[in-house]
Amino acid sequence: MTTLRTSELTGNDNYFEDFRPGAVFRHARGKTVEAIDNVQITNLVMNTAEGHFNEDAMRKQGGIFDRRVCFGGVSIALVVGLAAQDTAENALAELGMDKIRLKEPVFHGDTLYACSQVLAVEDGEREDAGVVTFHHWGLNQDDKVVFEGERRVLIKRRSHWADN
Amino acid sequence: MAEKGKLEPVADFREQAILWPKGHTYEDFEVGMVFRHHWGRTLNEGDNSLFTTLTLHFNPLYFNEPYAKAHGHPGVVVNPLLVFNTVFGMTVEDLSEGGGPFLGVDAMTYHRPVHVGDTVYAHSEVVGKRTSARFPGFGIVTWHTKGLNQDGEMVIDYRRANLVRTRDE
Repeated sequence: MTTLRTSELTGNDNYFEDFRPGAVFRHARGKTVEAIDNVQITNLVMNTAEGHFNEDAMRKQGGIFDRRVCFGGVSIALVVGLAAQDTAENALAELGMDKIRLKEPVFHGDTLYACSQVLAVEDGEREDAGVVTFHHWGLNQDDKVVFEGERRVLIKRRSHWADN
Repeated sequence: MAEKGKLEPVADFREQAILWPKGHTYEDFEVGMVFRHHWGRTLNEGDNSLFTTLTLHFNPLYFNEPYAKAHGHPGVVVNPLLVFNTVFGMTVEDLSEGGGPFLGVDAMTYHRPVHVGDTVYAHSEVVGKRTSARFPGFGIVTWHTKGLNQDGEMVIDYRRANLVRTRDE
């Protein structure tokens, strides 16, 4: 059996030591939101609000939107996901989120991008990792902020994990 | 192809059909009310891999079993955002199906990891309600939601605010 070298599987530029308060990052990839993202995840998690999956009802009802709108939980997960390789790849645990605001609707065909700012870095309860607080923004193709929120993550220290 | 003198079958059942309603309206919520939401959900490997890869969430704890075990887990960890989405999903019929988009989530804490094969349940308490001149026909309701695992341990909790339709819109 070969020995698993965990540090070979993740990046070397996103350990706890790499995050400085105030730093702002633009994450490299965007993602166009398709029905396969919104409808599939909405149904997978049994969110029963048909505004996310019944196009006919949305066209006929004359409600706030005239077509299916992306479930906010999916928008949050997509924006955090776009930021994840940089801010979660070496995470030991997600600790929580706060001040999540959905500011613009996301529709099928919209493209999301993510930016993040490091708000704080703190020692963790364990010595091999520290807590980083990020502010994340989700932007659409028109550069409008569709989501923002804070996220706390327990991230490995290079000093303890880089040679594992 | 209806025969002469018989009701057109489609017209017949459509006339008789009574809507089997779902969800609640603003007036149904009182501060302090508690909901134990339906169904529960065992989170399996397929759920977790699909969700994690669709959302590009590249932390191997959620899709590489030897890696997760090397970090002290019994198996693959369920992506916390899937835990959030699933707990949220199970609350929707009771809380926000008769409503508009949700406005925000605060004070979300992940209390302990969820592993593949664990089952999550959702409970909520109404913590606030108010009307808003900005949204005629809607009120804003706030809930505190808890996600529990099969042993009754809290895995997540958060506060959520949502537009909820009023009855006499």
